[in-house]
Formats: sequence, C-alpha cells, structure tokens
Amino acid sequence: MSGFLVFVLAIISLAAGAISWFLTPKGANQTLIRTSLMLTITCCYLMWAITYMAQLHPLMAPRRSDVRSGPEGL
Amino acid sequence: MGYPSLFRSEEMSLVQLYIPTEVAHDTISELGVMGNFQFKDLNGEVNAFQRSFVGEIRRLDEMERRLRLFQNQITSTSPPIGITPLSASVPFTSVGPRAAQAFDDLDVKLAEHEQRMGQINQSWETLGKRQRELEEAKCVLRETAGFFNQADNRQIEIRGSFDDADGSAPLLENAAEYGSLPGESGFQGVDLDFVAGTIERSRMPVFERILWRILRGNLYMNYSEIEEPFVDPTTNKETHKDVFIIFAHGAELLAKIRKVADSMGGTLYPIDSSADKRNESLREVTSRLEDINSVLFQTGQTRRVELGKIAENLMTWKDAVAKEKAIYQTMNLLSYDAKKKTLAAEGWCPTRDISSSQQALRRATETAGTTVPPILSELRTHQTPPTFHRTNKFTEGFQTIIDSYGIATYQEVNPGLFTCITFPFLFAVMFGDLGHGMIATMAAIAMITFERKLAKAGLGEIFETFFFGRYIILLMGMFSMYTGLIYNDIFAKSLHIWQSGWEWPQGANGTVSAISTGTTYAFGLDPAWHGADNALVFTNSYKMKMSIILGVIHMTFAICLQVPNHLKFKKYINIWCEFIPQILFMQSIFGYLVICVIYKWSLDWSQQANSPPGLLNMLIYMFLSPGTVDPATQLYSGQGFVQVFLLLLALVCVPWMLCVKPYLLYREHQKIKGQGYQGVGDAPRLSTSQDMADEEDGNGHAVAEEQEDDHPFEMGDVIIHQVIHTIEFCLGCISNTASYLRLWALSLAHAQLSEVLYNMTLEGAFGMTGVTGVAFTVVMFALWFVLTLAILCIMEGLSAFLHALRLHWVEANGKHYMAGGYAFAPLSFAHLGEEIEEQ
Repeated sequence: MSGFLVFVLAIISLAAGAISWFLTPKGANQTLIRTSLMLTITCCYLMWAITYMAQLHPLMAPRRSDVRSGPEGL
Repeated sequence: MGYPSLFRSEEMSLVQLYIPTEVAHDTISELGVMGNFQFKDLNGEVNAFQRSFVGEIRRLDEMERRLRLFQNQITSTSPPIGITPLSASVPFTSVGPRAAQAFDDLDVKLAEHEQRMGQINQSWETLGKRQRELEEAKCVLRETAGFFNQADNRQIEIRGSFDDADGSAPLLENAAEYGSLPGESGFQGVDLDFVAGTIERSRMPVFERILWRILRGNLYMNYSEIEEPFVDPTTNKETHKDVFIIFAHGAELLAKIRKVADSMGGTLYPIDSSADKRNESLREVTSRLEDINSVLFQTGQTRRVELGKIAENLMTWKDAVAKEKAIYQTMNLLSYDAKKKTLAAEGWCPTRDISSSQQALRRATETAGTTVPPILSELRTHQTPPTFHRTNKFTEGFQTIIDSYGIATYQEVNPGLFTCITFPFLFAVMFGDLGHGMIATMAAIAMITFERKLAKAGLGEIFETFFFGRYIILLMGMFSMYTGLIYNDIFAKSLHIWQSGWEWPQGANGTVSAISTGTTYAFGLDPAWHGADNALVFTNSYKMKMSIILGVIHMTFAICLQVPNHLKFKKYINIWCEFIPQILFMQSIFGYLVICVIYKWSLDWSQQANSPPGLLNMLIYMFLSPGTVDPATQLYSGQGFVQVFLLLLALVCVPWMLCVKPYLLYREHQKIKGQGYQGVGDAPRLSTSQDMADEEDGNGHAVAEEQEDDHPFEMGDVIIHQVIHTIEFCLGCISNTASYLRLWALSLAHAQLSEVLYNMTLEGAFGMTGVTGVAFTVVMFALWFVLTLAILCIMEGLSAFLHALRLHWVEANGKHYMAGGYAFAPLSFAHLGEEIEEQ
C-alpha cells in the first residue's frame, strides 16, 4: 500500500459527500443533515489522511530499551 | 419559500395589526400561545405609570403577591401538602367573553382566602404563643419544685448531722411526729424571697454576671436547662431556654432582679413557696395546656384543609395570572385610536408564520364571540428586523454556543450550523481517547434516553447545564471515539488491529530500533509507537503538523463564509477588496506551509539526495532571506522563486486590503454627490402604505417609523476602520494559526495524563499475585476508575471544551461573523410556563 490509498479514500469521501448531498430527504432539517454529514465526512477523512501520510515515509523508527526477546514482546 | 434552515436567520416581516378593543385581549392571548410575535412599543414616550392598563396590572400584581404568599405557606407546612401540578388541575377560563368575570371571581376568591388565612394564622399564632407560655410556666414549676425539694433535703441532712453529733436522735423522731420541723419554718421565717422565670440559654451567663454585680453578691441563684427547645410556629426557629430561681433578701433587691430579667428578655412566673400551692398551680397549668393543645390541633387542621384547598388550584391560578399579566403588559405597548374603538399593534413576525398568525386572529375572533376580526397587514420598512433562528432540541445547544458570542446580524450566515460538527470535532482532537469518548457517549445516551423524565425532575444547576448540552456531549463523545481510534489510545493503552509497519528484532537486548516492514498502518497511529522511547518525538511532530493543517483549513473555511454574506447583502465590493486579498494572504503563507508539510510527507527521504528540511526554518527564512534557499535543505527545485512570488503576493495583499475599499467608497460618494442626491430623506417616512396613512390620520404616530439615521459619509472613519481591520487580519493570521497549536498541546496533555494515571495505579497492581494482589487490584481499579472519570473525563473534558469554544469564537467567528443583531423575543406563554415551574 502506498500514497494511492489517500487518493482512493479522497474519492470515496467525495462520493459519500455527494451521496449525502443528494439523498438527504427534504424536510425542515435538510440543510442541517446535509451540512453535518458532509462536514463529518470531511473531518474524519482529514484526520485519517493526515495520520496516514505522517507515517507513510517515516523519518525515524520507534526505539525502545525494554524489549523482551521475541517480536511480540510488547 | 422552502424549509427553514439554520444557515440564515428567519426572514422577518414588520406586521401591523388593527384589533377591535373587544377582541384585543383574546387576540394577544392567541398570539402568546403561538409564541412568534414580538410586539414593538408604540408608546415609547409614555412612562410606565401613564399607560392604559396600569390598573389591571396592579390588580394582577396583587393577585400574584397573594398566590406567592399562599405558596410559601403551603411549602413551609409540615408534613408537606402536595401542590397539584398544572397538567392535572382544572383549566382556567382565561379567554373568551367570560374571562373577565373569571378573573374578577378569582380576585375575590383570593382576597377571601387571604383574609381567612390571615385570621387562622393569627389565632394560630396567639394560641401558639399562649401554649409556649404555659409550657414555660410548667417547666418553671417543675424545676423550682426540684430546687425547693433539694433545699429541704439539705436542711434535713444538716439537722441530722447536728443531731448525730449531739447523740440526741429521739428529738428528730419527735419532730417527725409533730409533722413539721422547727427549722423549716425558720427557713421561711428568714424572709428569703425569690424570683423565678425563664431566659434564653445564651443570655444566661451575662444575666448571672449582671445580677452578681448589681446585687453585690447578695443573692443565691440556681438554674437548670429545659431540654426540649421551644419552636416558633411562624418562623420555625428553635430557642433553648433555662429556668432560673433567684433568692434574695428585701423587696428592693427583688425589684432590681425583676427589672434586669425584663431587660434581658426573660419571663417571670409567680411561684408560691408552699408545695401545695405549687402542685395546685401545676395541675391547673397542665389542664389549661391540654385545652390549648386541643384547640391548637383543631386550628392546625383547619389551616391544613384551607391550604389544601388552595394547593389544588394554585398552579392553575398562577399560570392564568402570569399569562393575564403578560397580556396586559403587551396591551400597554399598543396604541389606542382617538375613539378608543381599535388598538393598533406593530411587531415582528417570521414571514413564513404570517398565515398561521392570521388563522390565530380568526380563532381569537371566534373565542371572543364577535364578528369584527382584527386586520393584519405587512409593512415595508427600513428597520433592522430581529434575528430568529428556529432551533430544535439538537441544535439548541450549538446555537447557544454561538449566541453567547453574539447574536447574528439579520440574515447573516450563521456559524451555528457548522458548529454542530466542527465544535465536537475540534473538541475530540484534544480529547482523543476511545475509552473516554465511550464514557462521554454513554452518559449522553443515558441523558437522551431518559430525556423526558430528567427534564421534568428538578435537577441541580450544574447537572442541568450538562443536561442542556446532552447532544453536544453525544457528538463530542462520538468524535472522541473516532479520534481515539486514530491516536490508537484506549485508556492509555493501544489497539493492534491492522498490520503494523514495524517489527522488533528478535533476541536483541538493550536499546533496539524497530525495523520497517514496508507497510503503513492502515488506520491511525501505529501501535509500535506505544511505549517506545521516542514515541513523544514522533507524536509531537505529527500532532503539531495536524493542528496547523486543521487550523488553516478551518480558518480558510471561515474566511470563505464571508462570500455568501457579501452576495446576500449585495456588497460585491467586499468580495474584491476584502475576501480575495484575505484568502490570498492566508494561503500564500500558511496554505503554502500546509502544502509543504504534505509534500514532505509524500517524499521517501531515504531515496533523496539531501536531508529533510525543517519546515519551520523554511518558513522563517522565507521572510528573512527571500529568494535564497540552502541547497542542502531544499524541498524542491525552484523553491526560491516560488517563495519570493508568494511573499510578494502576500505583501501586495496588504495595501490591497488597506486602500482599495476606502477609495472605491470615496469615488461612489463623490458620484452620488455629483448627481445631487444629498440630503433627501429629511421628511419623516411612514412605514405604512400611503393610502392607509391618509385614511387613518389619527393613529399616524403608531405607524410612523423612527427616521433611519443615514450616517454622513466620513472618509476618516472609513479609513480608520479599514486600517484596524487590515492590521487585525494580518497579525491575526499569524497568531490565530499559532493558536491552533492548542489542539496539539491539549491532546498531548490528555494522552500523557491518562498514561501517567494508568502507570501510577493499575500497572503496579497487575504485577502482584495472591490475595493481596487481588485486593490491591480491586482498590487500585476503583481509584483508577474514579480518577479517570473526575480528572480525565470531566476536568480535561471541560478544559478541551473551553479551548474548542475559543477556537470557534476567536479564530473562526472572527473571520466572518459580524454578530451585530438582536435576538427575537416574542410574547410566548411557553417561556412564561418555564419560569413559573422554576419558581
């Protein structure tokens, strides 16, 4: 997996945003629901994408001094 | 006209009502039930005492006072009398032709009740006072009997010891045969008179000292405490009293003692020194006390019955009186025509509610039983209408957050709509922990599930605040769960769901570095970082960059919200002279920084020739040495040129913001002046249409609209305003971006605090074995859980809430929110009802 996942999810998020724009039922709360859904999708995507990209090409590796032997020594 | 939305405040209309006098009361009552009409004061020049319905209001005030009096008496009775709630009691006829009669009857009834209650209370008090006096007399009699007995016994003892010494015991026997001791008569023969009475316990020592000084020690004083306190039935205050008896010699001294006792608030009781008489008066007092007690009981019962009768209807009456008062207060705002046939009302009503208001008017005509309906007409006006956001129980809390900053200008873009999501999200960025988020969510779900029950039950003020924000807490909790997953934190532990990007070398000792597996953890922070020595170095860099990115996006969004406002208010000039330079300034500095951050993340630095640059330094040197970039820390080729371009762009934006708008305004003003349009509009404008004003000249003043004061064009003001605005924006951009770093700081603090708490409590306990281990674990778990709730959820939650609030008020609202409106305050019986419940 690489940086493409960020674009794939961006497209999926855009699609979800579009769906929530068009499929929100008409009514007194249409604007509220629409805005809320789209903002939620944006916020969640941003948070995920930032975290993912920050780890995509790490500049340093985790280091610990209390490792017990074995890979699952966490 | 579509559905109402939170995006802009409701469109309002200035509406004029002509109400025939006989329908006026019911019309206003009907509008109060609807709760969407804000009446304007048409008698601004008349003071409160000269208005038409002062008499009615005074009468209703009097009724309110009586009802308050009854309520106080009802609530202070013990055992308590239940007040029938409003929903369960008989409705009161407050509208229609019989309403006036009903209120007259109620007034009479309340006056009667008050009189009767007054009588009952008075006799209750007198009886109570009498009873207390008798009780005291009884105590004094009982206690003094004790003193006398003691005194007698002592004499006998003294005499006995004398006789023993003489060895003439038979004398005593003889004396017993005589029935009286010579010494006893001697004791009384000395003429040692006494005074007995009661005094408050706290005054006893002072009383004693004063007497000692005044009588120079020529007294013998004895006192004892009365165990039961005396209770004042009206004030419910307890007083403890002491019985005293003072022996002294001579009428003069006794008179002095009496005076001192009187002045100290003591009560004296005539006590006879002979035991028979004392017993007799004790019997008398006891029997009188019994009589009084039975009368008192009867009176108490009557009082209870009377109060119970009032309690049945109290809430209905209170409600009716409060509504009636609101109606008359509103009617005082209306203006009468010359013939006193019709009332003219003017007020604001949401445009979409006008038709339902018209129906309400028709209903009112029917209730009043007349055929002349009130006439409703819409006026055209230049006045600024009030701001009215139609909220529901979900949006109410979020809108309150925005309203506490300022009420939106009429029809301005309302940030409350976006706050519904951005507020809980920014909160969650600071509060990110799956476990803590879950606790908040569950608490909110509980409050929402038992919404009706909790809304009815009286809660404490603090809990009510939390209850009011239950939907905010729900969203905050849910977003915290999401950010907790991203941060990979659940109660300071981590989850290992996806394939980790790191592997720990096998069989290694000492400090080891993990080896990359070539993958990236798919969702959130890699669990390998949890507990790593350099975890903080990584999370700090990650969270700091995230704060900047989120902050710049949030602020850009806020700046963009200016555009719908400028379009709506047709101030296109502001788009070119404010919005565009602002967004360019912002993006050329901080937008560029964000792009650099993302670009730096996207490069694989192990494949690059040079080392990764520090972006903060890059930004600083962009200003300090424009055009030159150290090749060793170059991010991309052509960096120097791009940075110079962006810097120049930002610099150009400053004079653009500063000068263009004042210049354009000045030119426009010159153009208008040149066309000779100056000074028009000095004649008073009538808000009503012309024919109406001609028809009804008499009430022209009701319709006359305050002259809208057109500010004369002042070039100086415009320039100063623009200079302040520009400086504020340019400096604000930098400080506000830095301000978003609080997202990083608080989320770091939250994560560290929960980790420290875990290490200090549970981690130690998990290592222990045996019975002590179990007990220790239980204790430590309790401690950990309580501290998690109190410190991490509530305290940290409040602090994150405050910071999220600030980011919305200052950083986001400051970019676009004018907040120059005033709130719509309709006459509404629903609000009135809430106030009555609270009392």
